Amino acid sequence: MNRGRGLILAAFGASMAASIGVTVVYALGGQPQIEGVLLGVALGGIAVGLVLFGHRVLPGGHFVQARDVVPPTTQRPEVAASFEEGAEPIERRRLIATAFAGSVALLGAAAVFPIRSLGTRPGRQLDHTSWRRGLRAVTNAGRPLRVDGLDPDSVVTVFPEGHEGSADSQTLLIRLPGGITPPGPRDWTVNGVVAFSKICTHAGCPVGLYQTDTQELFCPCHQSTFSVPEGARPTFGPATRPLPQLPIGLDDDGFIIALSDYTEPVGPGFWNRP
Amino acid sequence: MISRLARWIDDRIGGSAFAESALSKVFPDHWSFMLGEIALYSFVVLVVTGVFLTFFFDPSVAETTYQGGYDPLRGETMSEAYRSVVELSFDVRAGLVMRQAHHWAAFTMIGSLVLHLLRVFFTGAFRRPREINWLVGVTLLILALANGFTGYSLPDDLLSGMGLRIMYSLVLSVPVIGTWVAFLLFGGEFPDQEIIPRLFVIHIMIVPAAIAVLIAVHLALIWHQKHTDYAGRDRRESNVVGPKLWPTYASFSLALFFAVFAVVVTMGGLVQVNPVWLYGPFRPSEVGPPSQPDWFVGWLEGALRIFPPWEIRAFGYEIPNPFYPGVLVPTVIFGGLYLWPFLEARFTGDRGPHHLLDRARDHPVRTAFGVTALSFVVLLQVAASNDLLAHGFDASVATITWIFRIVVPVVPPLLGWFTYRLMTALRASGAERFAEMPLRAVMRPAGDAEALASVGAEPAAVAGPTTDGAELTVYAAADGRWRWRYRDPADDIELDSNTSYVTEQLAAADARKAYPETPLVRNR
Amino acid sequence: MAVVATVALAAAIAGACSYFEDPDPYRPPASYTGRPTAEALALGQQLYQRDCSFCHGDDGRGTSQGPDLATGENGPALTDFMLRTGRMPIDAPVEQAQAGTSPYDSDEIDALVAYLDDAFDQPGPDIPEIDTAAGDLVEGRAAYQENCAACHATTGIGGAMIAGRDGETTGIFIPGFARTSPTEVGEAARTGPGAMPAFSPEIIDHDELDGLARYIEYLKDPDDRGGWSLGRFGPVAEGAAGLVLGVGILVLFVRWVGTTRGQRPKEEP
Repeated sequence: MNRGRGLILAAFGASMAASIGVTVVYALGGQPQIEGVLLGVALGGIAVGLVLFGHRVLPGGHFVQARDVVPPTTQRPEVAASFEEGAEPIERRRLIATAFAGSVALLGAAAVFPIRSLGTRPGRQLDHTSWRRGLRAVTNAGRPLRVDGLDPDSVVTVFPEGHEGSADSQTLLIRLPGGITPPGPRDWTVNGVVAFSKICTHAGCPVGLYQTDTQELFCPCHQSTFSVPEGARPTFGPATRPLPQLPIGLDDDGFIIALSDYTEPVGPGFWNRP
Repeated sequence: MISRLARWIDDRIGGSAFAESALSKVFPDHWSFMLGEIALYSFVVLVVTGVFLTFFFDPSVAETTYQGGYDPLRGETMSEAYRSVVELSFDVRAGLVMRQAHHWAAFTMIGSLVLHLLRVFFTGAFRRPREINWLVGVTLLILALANGFTGYSLPDDLLSGMGLRIMYSLVLSVPVIGTWVAFLLFGGEFPDQEIIPRLFVIHIMIVPAAIAVLIAVHLALIWHQKHTDYAGRDRRESNVVGPKLWPTYASFSLALFFAVFAVVVTMGGLVQVNPVWLYGPFRPSEVGPPSQPDWFVGWLEGALRIFPPWEIRAFGYEIPNPFYPGVLVPTVIFGGLYLWPFLEARFTGDRGPHHLLDRARDHPVRTAFGVTALSFVVLLQVAASNDLLAHGFDASVATITWIFRIVVPVVPPLLGWFTYRLMTALRASGAERFAEMPLRAVMRPAGDAEALASVGAEPAAVAGPTTDGAELTVYAAADGRWRWRYRDPADDIELDSNTSYVTEQLAAADARKAYPETPLVRNR
Repeated sequence: MAVVATVALAAAIAGACSYFEDPDPYRPPASYTGRPTAEALALGQQLYQRDCSFCHGDDGRGTSQGPDLATGENGPALTDFMLRTGRMPIDAPVEQAQAGTSPYDSDEIDALVAYLDDAFDQPGPDIPEIDTAAGDLVEGRAAYQENCAACHATTGIGGAMIAGRDGETTGIFIPGFARTSPTEVGEAARTGPGAMPAFSPEIIDHDELDGLARYIEYLKDPDDRGGWSLGRFGPVAEGAAGLVLGVGILVLFVRWVGTTRGQRPKEEP
């Protein structure tokens, strides 16, 4: 028993030392690893001490208690009688009871309506982005781009000018190498540069990876792969629809502009997607 | 001093009878019954560390400029939420330890909840009269998952922002009401400004309150119904054996609380988790590996990754691809969990109360189903790291994904069938331990027909062991109160009644209730 | 038994993490200055004829085994990158050339770079001059997140993606930066070797490139203030640690505290 007591006291002693230690470390400026270890010893010492105490000193598990295999139901008739007795005046006045139920129900229905204030009406918001005819394609820093500023096999994320960082308008400009015919209508591309929505049509992550030797876009979230020369058609993974293409052209200064908004909703599907 | 206080309270409220029954209450102390307690104390640690965090976290998406101690972000614009988390991690003493301990405690809570659920499932502890507690428990698991997800989404970093985008798309994919629910929940199109403050309210107020209430219900039911226990020579459906609450079980339970706290806070200092400063603030056009959510949502992520590109579009409406793995699969899994006690009672015809637990072999069909479901979820979990596996083994992501597409539907049922054979063989062989079972019994279990016939029915070897030589004695103790004792010389067991009685008759009545078939020998 | 298993598993995880980390220091930076000597050109020609012309052709216009070196992004930057990282030379054509140990020393690499540029009149960019000290770390981080993180991971550990080639799919390995010098960062960014896109000065200007190289240098040893970084694999590794270490240790604890089946209830001591 002495050895048991010694161990228990050692555990509590280590805990006390660690508690003092962590206050000192904290006062000196703190350091996460040391704080963690000392707090761990402070708490763990108490844990170990208590367990040792329980095992070696306290009475063990040699007690027995009776239990009801099935809970006693002796009072059920009394409960039923009390309830019916109390419900009797209510049952006699049907109309009042019904009116009460009706007022509670309608109040409940009315109380649900403030939920509508939580957000805007979806309407057709999901069908449009911020791209409009004539808006320049700019980087996140607001820099517009010229075609010859993009080497073949380069990719850059762009937004409509004035909407940098806009989540639904994020678009990839890709300059395809010379031998590849750009996909989509002829007047939607400029000198081998094509534009596709960056929002994956599966679950909405940005399709950030581009592989130049096969011209494929890859989404890191669930591994959907889109083939750019085939109009960003999905070739692997759970995505079912191609990335929408943005019609682009050049303005008078030679900067890349959008010719219109996307002609279909960007991003993942939903019930009434047109 | 304490006794004076206790007397003062008792004079005003009464309840000394309750106190006596509480102090002397018996708790079976098998180690597998403490898994739920790990979760319970993890929740307590979460609340304690969480309160600390709420003093520093700013649940606002208002733009600000970072001026704190992490160089690569200084001068960068970000939300107040993200700024407050990075500042807490770098510029507040003990802030990072608290934050990481909070995160690790969430892991230990959900991890031990899953182990606890598995223990309850495989031992049949959810059977009557504990179906209500099972429903409460499954709900607690769902709430814990929800709080875990909302919690790691609060810092508004790039990784959790991607997760929120995916969650938004999952909600969108729900037929008919999807767009409305998404717009109301998030306040509009993604990423509307409203979501972080709302997640904050859900995470610190609504869900923890619900968890606390349900934990109270869960514990109250266990208290009232008394805990189940494994069968043994001294165990009956009509009794419960173990240490008393005071002082032994309380001491162990308190020790477990300190141990949980110790483990998560040590990990909070030594092992880095969720380094949001590396991921950067959330920007909707940025993305990058790591692209997995926290592990407890990994099974959902894996389902989304390996599900083939199927979707339904008809009459101008569509149910898009993410709906099937992202909404249907979890509904089936949790629906199955909720319904299981009732399905099992229906199909086995066993609607009686059970206070003694099954061993896995006693109910091979249940065990097989459990193994199937568990392996399904685990395989989905592993599938979520398909890109990491490809990177590590220098293989193609497509190959790895295809392997999972085949393995996930095929392997779990096979494992389930194999488990069923193994369990029936184990039972039929009569071997006590797994290792003692002859191997050929697995291939051709002896007494197969008999084992099959008794599947699902009341297992033979659970309750009512022979009581040759066992006896009950009732005696008066030195303080004049009566106690009783159960003695089984064959197994060298001697158990005392947990409480004392005023009369000999009361003691004898309880003794007979606890051991209905054991002879009562009046002694002394 | 359980303790041994947990310790073994933790050791295995730690070992796996270190397997993915590259222990070698990075390669010496480029020294090619753009003004080749006659000896350098001669050495370069000799090495080219011996090691490269079989696949890339005597005139550098390529063969069925290897691509044209006189078009596109080919220039001193790309040549230096390929040689210094050990991606070239290789014995046979592969899906994706991977980094390795170069058989050449720095002078030989400079000679080959000089010869290719001179003999084939390569159009691609020169070796960029990267000055990480002049780079802005914050700007570099922003540029990295916008352009690089999607493939190379926000934590810089690299990743994987799929390639579709002639109807088949193969794996593309995206490297990390453990052995990458700042100059190599500039070379790769400007020329887009292999499957990587190219980033012209309009996308990442020179100052941003300095900052980018500086941030990538930082990513080799970022601030792991929270403790063991678990290989920086993210939530997957963290989940494994949480379950194995966190839940594992606590399960061992409750096994110590509680009884096991068949254990007899303890008598009054």
